[in-house]
This record gives sequence, C-alpha cells and structure tokens, in this order.
Amino acid sequence: MTHTVFITLKFILERKRQTVVSILGVSIGVAAFIVMASLMNGFQKYFIEQAIDLNAHITIKVKPEANPSKIGKKYFGDDVLLNVYGLKPPDKRDKISNYRFIISNYSKDPQFLGLAPHLVGQGIIRFSTIERSATIIGIDPNLERKASVIDKFIVNKRLNSLVTDRNSIIIGKLLAKDLGIEEHNKKVLIVFPNGVVEVFKVVDFFNSGITTLDQTRVYMNIRTYQAILGRPNEVNEIIVKLKDVNQAQKLSIAIERETGYYAESWQKAYKNFLQLFKIQNYITYMIVFAVLVVSAFGIFNIIMMIVMEKKKDIAILMAMGYERGDIVKIFTLQGLINGLVGAFLGSLVGYSIQEWLVSLNLDVEGLVRAKGFILDRSLVYYIYGVLFAFLFSLLASFYPSYRASKLNPVDIFRSG
Amino acid sequence: MLVLIDLRMVNKIIGQEHILKDVNLSVYKGEFLSIIGPSGSGKSSLLYIVGLLDRPSSGEILIEEKTIDFSDQKRLSEVRNKKFGFVFQFHYLINELTLTENVMVPLLKAGIPIRKARERALSLLEMVGLKGKESRKPYQISGGEQQRVSIARALSNNPDLIIADEPTGNLDSKNTQIVMDMFKELNKEGKTIVMVTHEMDLANQTNRIISMRDGRVVSV
Ligand SMILES: Nc1ncnc2c1ncn2[C@@H]1O[C@H](COP(=O)(O)OP(=O)(O)O)[C@@H](O)[C@H]1O
Ligand SMILES: [Mg+2]
Repeated sequence: MTHTVFITLKFILERKRQTVVSILGVSIGVAAFIVMASLMNGFQKYFIEQAIDLNAHITIKVKPEANPSKIGKKYFGDDVLLNVYGLKPPDKRDKISNYRFIISNYSKDPQFLGLAPHLVGQGIIRFSTIERSATIIGIDPNLERKASVIDKFIVNKRLNSLVTDRNSIIIGKLLAKDLGIEEHNKKVLIVFPNGVVEVFKVVDFFNSGITTLDQTRVYMNIRTYQAILGRPNEVNEIIVKLKDVNQAQKLSIAIERETGYYAESWQKAYKNFLQLFKIQNYITYMIVFAVLVVSAFGIFNIIMMIVMEKKKDIAILMAMGYERGDIVKIFTLQGLINGLVGAFLGSLVGYSIQEWLVSLNLDVEGLVRAKGFILDRSLVYYIYGVLFAFLFSLLASFYPSYRASKLNPVDIFRSG
Repeated sequence: MLVLIDLRMVNKIIGQEHILKDVNLSVYKGEFLSIIGPSGSGKSSLLYIVGLLDRPSSGEILIEEKTIDFSDQKRLSEVRNKKFGFVFQFHYLINELTLTENVMVPLLKAGIPIRKARERALSLLEMVGLKGKESRKPYQISGGEQQRVSIARALSNNPDLIIADEPTGNLDSKNTQIVMDMFKELNKEGKTIVMVTHEMDLANQTNRIISMRDGRVVSV
C-alpha cells in the first residue's frame, strides 16, 4: 500500500496546476450544493413553520360549497361530462352549531393542545380617506392563545386589550402601512357586509412575515363581532393545535368523520405550496447534480490526461514489478484525494457563503418577509456533499485508471 | 555452470510478423552476456521475453529450472521486482520524483519501509557517483547521470539479473565507458547481466556474445 500512496501523493503535489483545477471543480460543486440546499430548505422549512403556526394545525369549517363538477358525478357516476351552471350558495347557514361541545370534547384528548372558535368574515376598513378590504376574524383571546401562537406575531403583545376594550382591534402590519397608520390607538372605521359601520381603536399590529396575511387580517373580540353581525353565539371556524403536527392529516379525517364538519389539515391547506416546493427541490437538485457531474468530468479529464501523459511511467512501473492493481490504485486514489480535498474545501467555502448570507441585512419581500436569508444549516448537507464528491470522483477516476492498468508496457517501450 | 534462465524453442509472432524464430538460449549465472545484431533483428523482443514483460507465442522459459507460468501475473510482477533490474536506452525516470525517490520506487513495492528505502537509495546513488544530487529531479541532470540513476534503480532490490537494452545508446563515448565500467564491476561482484547493443567494441568487453539476425540466434 505504501508504494501506491507514495507515488499518488507525489503526482498530486508535483502536478499542482492539474491538482488545483480538479480540486476547484469539486469544491465549487460541493459549495453550490451546500448553499443551495440550505437556502432552499431553510426557506421551505421557515415557510412551513410559519404556515403551520399561523393557519392552525387543523381548521374545522363549515363544508365548502358544492363543486359543480361533483354534482354531476354524484348523480351520474364518475364518467360523466357535465357541468352545472347557476349554482346558488346552499341555504344552510355558515355556522358550526355545536361548537362548544366540539371544543370541550376534543380538549379532553391529550393529542389536542388547544381549540379556539373563530367567526370569520369580510369587511372594509377605512382610515381617513383610504379604504382596504379585510378579513375580519373574531377571536376569544384566551382560547386563541392555547390554540395558536398568535402572541408571537403581535408586535406589542397587547392581545389582552381585545378583552378589556371590546372596541379595540389588532390589524396586520402591512394593512396598517397601506392605510397610513404608523402608531397604535388610531381610530378606524369598519364597514360590515350587513351595513353596520363602527369605530374601532387599533391597539396593536399583527406581523407574521407572510405577506398576504399581514396585508388583510383584522382581529377583534368574537363577542363584539357576533353582536355586530347579529349572530350571537355563532362561530364558523374552530382552530386546533395538536401535540404532533405530523398527525394533522390523520386527525383531520377523524374529526370530519366524528363531527360531520369539514376539517382541513395544514398539509391540505398548503397543498399547492408543498407541491411547488417539491418541484423546486427537483429543479435545484438537478442543477446541483449537473454542477457535480461537470466537476466529476473535470476529474475524469485530468486523470485521463495524466494517464496519457504518463504512459512511459506506467510502463516502467510495471517493468519494475508494479501490478495492474497497483496502477489502478495510484490513479483512482489520485482522483479520490482530489475529490475529498475538493469536498473539504467546498464545505469550507459553503460554510463561509452561509455565514455571509446570514450576515446580510436585506429586506426580503415576497411570499414571506424576512431580514436576510433564512438558512437551514444542517450538517446533513455537508455530509451529502462530501459523500457525493467521494462517489463522483471515484466513478470519474476509475475508468481512466482501469485504462492505465490495461496498457501493455512492451508496446510503450517499443514506441520509444 | 548453473543456468539462470533457459529459453526453449521460443517463438514470437505479432500479427503477420514472425519476430522470434525457434530461439534457444541459456543465460548462465554470473555471466555478462551481450546480444548484438542489426536493427530490427529482434534483440529487444527477445529481451522483453527474458524479462518476463512479454509472453512468447510458443516455447518455454525456465528460471532456475522452473517453468514460468505467464498467466500468473502476480508471480511475474514479483520476479521482475525482486530478481530483475531493467535498464533501457531511455532512462524512463519519473519526472515528479527526485532521484532518491526514483530509486525508492522498486524498494517500496518490495515492501521495504520508507526510511529504509531512502537509506538504501541514497547509498546506491552514492555508488553510481551522484552524491550531492539526490534531491534533484531527473530533468535537472545530464543524460549520463540519468542513466546512472536508472542503474541505481535497477540495482535497488539487489537483483540476480540485470537486463539492459542498449543502455549506452543515447550516451557519448565518455559516459558510455562509465556505464560499461559499472556493469563490469557489478558483474565482477556476481551479478548476471544480459545487454543488448549494436556496438561491437562494447560487446567485446563482455564474457560472451550472441548475435541475432531476422529473429534467429545465428551464433552463440
Ligand atoms: N508491435 C509490433 N507489431 C509488428 N511488428 C513488430 C512490432 N514490434 C516490433 N516489430 C517488428 O519486430 C522486429 C523486431 O523488433 P525489435 O525486437 O525491436 O528489434 P531490435 O531491438 O533488434 O531492433 C522488427 O522487424 C519490428 O519491425
Ligand atoms: Mg531494440
């Protein structure tokens, strides 16, 4: 073993230009992999965490309105091509009638950490001359706390004001910005669908980081809202917090069966996003894979070139008693060492880029708002990066090494 | 005299070319044998077979009376490593290695630890008159010196046989004589040497001359 390692190390150290080129190729690939993976997964995990926090693990709702194509199927079977026009909303009132029972019943189950009633509707909020449409959510602050992490998103932690002052509201930070409200305790008008117009005091702001929510949400006390809409004791949504978020899909099905209401797990609510993330992952990993393939080709080319250049050395090594296996080892090891050093350097570069990215103080505005990049700096990506580099450089250097070992020394000596 | 290597009815055919024809040759222990003949007469081809680098198309080769099995690559490599030392017309030194390291290459393959291999390489280099140049690279010394390094390398595992194919073919007369004197000295110390040359006055300095023509040994 010493003899092959000895020669390999000499080849690596004495052919600096080629060594540097192949190491650089691999380190770029590995760094790209680490950075891309941590950026993408960081964003996705953050988004999902926020989404789970905000939208409840399960939301129990009144059944959504019938879907026209489903009606056809219901009466004529799956194969029917039929559309129903002029469908009216069902007469059934938008409410969960036995909500107290549902809440108290599931609260006993240790899998459920909390349940809270919502009354959700639309309205128009006006400040001086500016109007915006808003989603108004009536909440019971004390139950809400147990069923969500709303406190986390309330800027000045004045959720309790909704209890003490029945005419106070908390509005989304971006909504406030749109309306031109910069400090709290401003008075705003809300126009409700039933024509009622009321004055409210904005006591705090809601800042989740999810743009669409921060632009539309208004929280008020559920009793106030019920009174204004003339719907005392009515709720149309129950949010549920679970001990284990991964059970949401399963438990939502159980709830649907047991209550007859529609129960939507966070996975279902964010199905489109989760699918989008899958596609995003495919694309990113394909790009990174391509980068790694290119760097593997770098190693392949360089080892191939060295083998071609070193035919005479290979011939004399064989004449001096080196076996074909020794020749394979010498060149494969060369590729592997380049690959592993490249992987190590690439990890360092990847780490530095991560450091740099998190140190950036950017205002990112899009699907989510954040200060700077959100990274998932898991060790797993480093391990995968190094593993890929190892495998690729093994594959890339094996063939040239094998070719080298098949050279016939006599042919080489004859050709001079 | 004891026979070190025995070739019996060796033929080598490559494609349509009949390169060696019914060659019978015994190399005796301790002799300095030279093979002469015009270019293309098959001298190198014969040497490759003697050196177990090439397999004959037919015929038999015995080393110390044991028939060589050409399918046993591991054994062939081991014989080349421990029993033979090769010197070619071109030195075939590895440019990435220093002179010392070049001489160490066969020693390491033989399983000798690095420290010991280095010590032995240094003393061999001193023996061939290259003391002080041990850490140079092959391209930093003259052609005559390069050939002396390859002799030192050939000697590293203390082989029984030195196989040399026109070892002075690329050297001026002064360096040619240095190399010849070295070979004679080694022969005196007991090494068996087989040397191909096409210069009669070099052949005349050896114990025995055989001559080749058109793939046949024509005089022994
Ligand atoms: N690979 C080959 N294919 C066909 N003929 C070859 C090959 N190698 C050598 N020869 C022929 O074999 C003959 C002997 O060559 P060689 O042993 O090199 O002679 P020498 O060393 O005496 O000059 C020459 O005629 C040469 O052309
Ligand atoms: Mg020749």
